[in-house]
Amino acid sequence: MNTEVLKSGAAIAQGRLLLRKMGVGIALLVLMVLFSLSSEHFLTQGNLTNILTQITINLTLAVGLTFVILVGGIDLSVGSVLALAAVVAGMVISNPNLPPGLAISLAIGVGMLVGLVCGLLNGALSALWGLPSFIITLGMLNIARGAALEVTDAKAIYSFPEGFAYVGSIIFFGVPLLFVVALVLVLVAWFVLSQTVFGRMIYAIGNNEEAVRLAGHSVFRYKLGAFAVCGLCAGIASLIYMARLGIASPIAGVAFELDAIAAVIIGGTSLAGGKGSVIGTFFGACIIGVLANGLILLGLSDFVRQIITGLVIVLAVVLDHFRSRISQGA
Amino acid sequence: MSLIPPRTQPGSSGYAPVLSVTDLRKSYGGIRALGGVSLTVEAGKIHALVGENGAGKSTLIKILTGAISRDSGTILLHGKPYLPGSPAQAKAAGVQCVYQELNMFPDLSIAENVTIERFPRRPLGMVDFAEMRAQAIRALSAVGLDDMDPDLPVRKLGIAHKQLIEIARALSTKSDILILDEPTATLTDREVQKLAEILMRLRSEGLSIVFVSHHLEEVFRICDQVTVFRNGETVASERIADVTPELVVRHMVGRALHPAAAASRPKAPRNTEVLAVADLKTTAHAKPTGISFSLKEGEVLGLAGLVGAGRTEVLRAIFGADRRRGGTIRIDGAEVRIDSPSDAIRHGLAFVTEDRKGEGLILPMSIKENLGLVDFVSASRLGLLNKSAEASQADTARDKLSIKLGRTSDAVSSLSGGNQQKVVLGKWLTVRPRILLLDEPTRGVDVGAKAEIYEILGGLAAEGTSILVVSSELPELMTLCDRIMVLSNHQLSGELNRDAFSEEALLKLAYGQHQEVGVKTT
Repeated sequence: MNTEVLKSGAAIAQGRLLLRKMGVGIALLVLMVLFSLSSEHFLTQGNLTNILTQITINLTLAVGLTFVILVGGIDLSVGSVLALAAVVAGMVISNPNLPPGLAISLAIGVGMLVGLVCGLLNGALSALWGLPSFIITLGMLNIARGAALEVTDAKAIYSFPEGFAYVGSIIFFGVPLLFVVALVLVLVAWFVLSQTVFGRMIYAIGNNEEAVRLAGHSVFRYKLGAFAVCGLCAGIASLIYMARLGIASPIAGVAFELDAIAAVIIGGTSLAGGKGSVIGTFFGACIIGVLANGLILLGLSDFVRQIITGLVIVLAVVLDHFRSRISQGA
Repeated sequence: MSLIPPRTQPGSSGYAPVLSVTDLRKSYGGIRALGGVSLTVEAGKIHALVGENGAGKSTLIKILTGAISRDSGTILLHGKPYLPGSPAQAKAAGVQCVYQELNMFPDLSIAENVTIERFPRRPLGMVDFAEMRAQAIRALSAVGLDDMDPDLPVRKLGIAHKQLIEIARALSTKSDILILDEPTATLTDREVQKLAEILMRLRSEGLSIVFVSHHLEEVFRICDQVTVFRNGETVASERIADVTPELVVRHMVGRALHPAAAASRPKAPRNTEVLAVADLKTTAHAKPTGISFSLKEGEVLGLAGLVGAGRTEVLRAIFGADRRRGGTIRIDGAEVRIDSPSDAIRHGLAFVTEDRKGEGLILPMSIKENLGLVDFVSASRLGLLNKSAEASQADTARDKLSIKLGRTSDAVSSLSGGNQQKVVLGKWLTVRPRILLLDEPTRGVDVGAKAEIYEILGGLAAEGTSILVVSSELPELMTLCDRIMVLSNHQLSGELNRDAFSEEALLKLAYGQHQEVGVKTT
């Protein structure tokens, strides 16, 4: 009898946890139902493919940002880092002296490397002396953007080898290849966060840095790692950007960090760190993409779309605040 | 016009009670903080309030200053009921307090700090800086700082001057009673002397002062009356002339001295020296000589002392949690370099901190994740968590420490204080430390779990683990330890072996009275 009560109590707690985890997914589903009822174009294959294409870059950036935000930091520089990585990779890929195959592979490596280095710099400077990552990455936002403009003399780079742009146009059964790349990234990030020592430390540091330090672990190393992952994701996003648009522009990715942060927050990750998941981030990015698409289909202006996206961000944080207050009170 | 308004009605005799507290009670949850204290402060007297850590002094101050409300009991101020609902009301009623942790604005000037509660205004809400300066100069001269430049930022001042400026600020509004919460804890002897002179002058002007101190010698030098609290009750209230320091200490401890008892420790510590600390200087206090001691294999060594005596700092410095200003640490006779907790762990140390929630546990994470926090790196392969090893590690800890829990996957925050503390302990035992540093190991733990923790620690010592334990509860140290060292104001004031344990002797050392008893003075 007593164990029965315990079991049902545990079941309720389990159910609550599931609801909490799936809350964003359910919100996405509701949103999709609403849009499909109000617009006949919404649930067409062409439109869904379009949405997936639209969210790919934001999702890629948001996956990296999830690591940084979980550890209690923030990275404002991802949009600019994307541009810098893109133009540097663009200069390699458009080099006429290299055979196309080599140029493409080199460019992929270089793009990821530039992102990684920027992330490492962000992490090293903020974690080593405990400086606020908000300021450090605000600096990087300007530095990377300035560097991208300087090395290209503010001109976009076009002439990519044939094969590269082709990758950006491949679609399997309505799913763009580039979106699959982002999805794989989500799964890898989920694995890293839930199954590895690195992931465990990310959560632990975000919750209680001092306890981790006193348990003999290097807080610096794991924070550095989180920022490195974020930079690497910005590098990968730069390659996706180039493959999709066939251009490497020094003014690419302006204000992309805002949508990426929004995706992480809507996905339920706490800005205070230590709480959240990359699966939530996935749904968060989907919600932003679906909202943008659906509202346009409804004939609302882009300005109204911006207002509504803003409201959703605020709503997500308010809901989360009350949800955690209730669970603490219980 | 005097800055400090008259405090007593002219003609009132010196014996009129300004403040009288009768049978005051306060509980937090189920924990009794005050179980009926009474206190009468007369006009123009300095009234000392003494007692062990946790005796109820801070709770009384918080009630008097309106920070918390009482459960029952009466407080009369000038014969009228006094129940401040907020700190602002207490100040308006003339009850001023200077807390041990000074609340200052380091980058504002002295004048701004002194007048911050009521800036002199000009029309349109602008600050009247000339008037502010004038007020500040008067306030400063009231505390003997006539030559102080009121435009100096407070950051540039030493701690003693800051203290005096806090007093000046407190007195710059209507004040009948000034409460000083351990004002001398961070002062040098010369500064204490100066403070004493100023307090005596204020007293002669009719101010009543409540003086909380851990230093009996000062109490006897400065104060007129003394009230002793023990376990939330008033045990004595006497004129200073009628008591001796010995008597006051006995009052603090209580007649029913705990017997040095607990003959329940059959084993004698082995003779191999495991840890030797020489001339350790912490960053908390600038003393010319550091702290030296050694710890033997299987020995339980206690570190007693009053709050603020530097006990926690010693543990943190040994563990590499804070920087040291100097000193060497030897383990098994060889000097080791410990600059960080990970160095310490590598050399076989473990540290259970006093702040379980802030430094020991990651509350939202599960019990097994917390138990694995120190050791999961070794329980993992290629950076992958070994979750089954983690689960069995948690089961082992649960059985060994008899942690009462639902499932090891529950959040650690769902456990009671005692079981949380066992998790912290269990976390460290996974790496089999040779030297265990414990800071208040049973704080906020109920009696049953306390006994279990004592048993666990006794078992560890019997297996050869050396333990250095800090506790504010003397009976706890006397139960656990083979030997107790006492810190007083960041210096070792003596040490006692088990056969010489008594609360009286320990308290005397803690209060810096090491003339007697001192078996060995370092």
